[in-house]
Amino acid sequence: MINYDIILNAVVGHLFLAYSALLISIIIAIPLAVLSLFNRYLASVLLVFANLIQAIPSFAVVAIVVPLLGIGFKPAIFAIILRIILPLFKNTFTGLKDVDFVYIDSARGIGLSQLEIIRYIRFPHAFPAIFAGIKFSAIIANSVAILTSLIGAGGLGELIFEGLTNFNIPKVLTGAIPAVIIAVLLDVSFSLIEKRISLKY
Amino acid sequence: MIAQVWKNQQLTIKTIEHLSMVFVALAIIIVIGVAIGIFLYNKKYLSNIVLNILNIIETIPELVLLVILMPFFGIGYKPTMIASILYSILPVARNTYVGLIQVDKQYLESARAMGLAEREILWKIRIPLALPMIAAGIRIAIVFVMGVITLGGLIAAGGLGGPIQTGIHLYDRDIILVTGLWIGILAVLLDSIGSFIEKVLNRKYGYD
Repeated sequence: MINYDIILNAVVGHLFLAYSALLISIIIAIPLAVLSLFNRYLASVLLVFANLIQAIPSFAVVAIVVPLLGIGFKPAIFAIILRIILPLFKNTFTGLKDVDFVYIDSARGIGLSQLEIIRYIRFPHAFPAIFAGIKFSAIIANSVAILTSLIGAGGLGELIFEGLTNFNIPKVLTGAIPAVIIAVLLDVSFSLIEKRISLKY
Repeated sequence: MIAQVWKNQQLTIKTIEHLSMVFVALAIIIVIGVAIGIFLYNKKYLSNIVLNILNIIETIPELVLLVILMPFFGIGYKPTMIASILYSILPVARNTYVGLIQVDKQYLESARAMGLAEREILWKIRIPLALPMIAAGIRIAIVFVMGVITLGGLIAAGGLGGPIQTGIHLYDRDIILVTGLWIGILAVLLDSIGSFIEKVLNRKYGYD
């Protein structure tokens, strides 16, 4: 029989893991992008890193965290952050940077300060790009959070791995099917919000 | 430490296994992806549906896609290859399609003025001009394929994912570090080859 309590617990654990990592990454990445607007050196170093890390398989990232931080919930969060923070940074930074110079010029003309320009001109224009980055990262976070069960983070992945060890396919599916539903719901809801945002800005 | 792990885990064979899987998967993906792109170009009303379906597949976590295929294809090589192909067709198909419809009007008009048929325009004008876009799609596919095939180690597909799993189970820091970093280096190398090809094609067929 399917035990709904176990599945529900796993879903909650999974969502908590993925979204706390996403939230922390957003909190770090956006200020970092603003800082990079002022410092060209920092920006280019971070962009090179962003491109490199995006090529590395998630499984390798999750594995390398183990010798550094051990296993459990915290290393798992760290692995997810490692995987998504640079794409987030990249999108935010390019969004903030690629604002048409005409707007910045006229903002300067009416006497706005640097910070006011970032707050009132750059951010509103960058919203669609920032949001696209968040959507992309949410999908990756969702995917890596399944994988981190391998290093003892719990969640839906745990059901999958327990099923895999005994070759218990129904158990594997009790972990896998909720994960698919979460992924599809995630994509649909984010696409709806994305449409709204791009209409507004 | 590196040499010992390398020998104990037979990383030379594992690497060859891994790369051959990557290249076979990539070859299949390119053929199917480009074919779907050209097909959608011919039947534009289908493009939304097909690209959306492929997009949904791509949001599914890699590992989940792998295990969902297990009831149908068992474990090992087969489900891993199928998952990596399913997962990576979207970037190639989408980029082919977009590259084909996005060709600048001036080229099409001069081709028509010279009396080329639509078929000839497709093969002699549109496809060459779409090559940089297609290459960009293939580059994304390379990254995805690397990711999925590494995960294949978890369901006994061979390749470099196996030693990582062993390392995590034994909590052996040397195995994890050596294999993990080696996979990272391989991934970055493959990605830079992809980006190099993309640049060459861009210089030859790109617009600017």
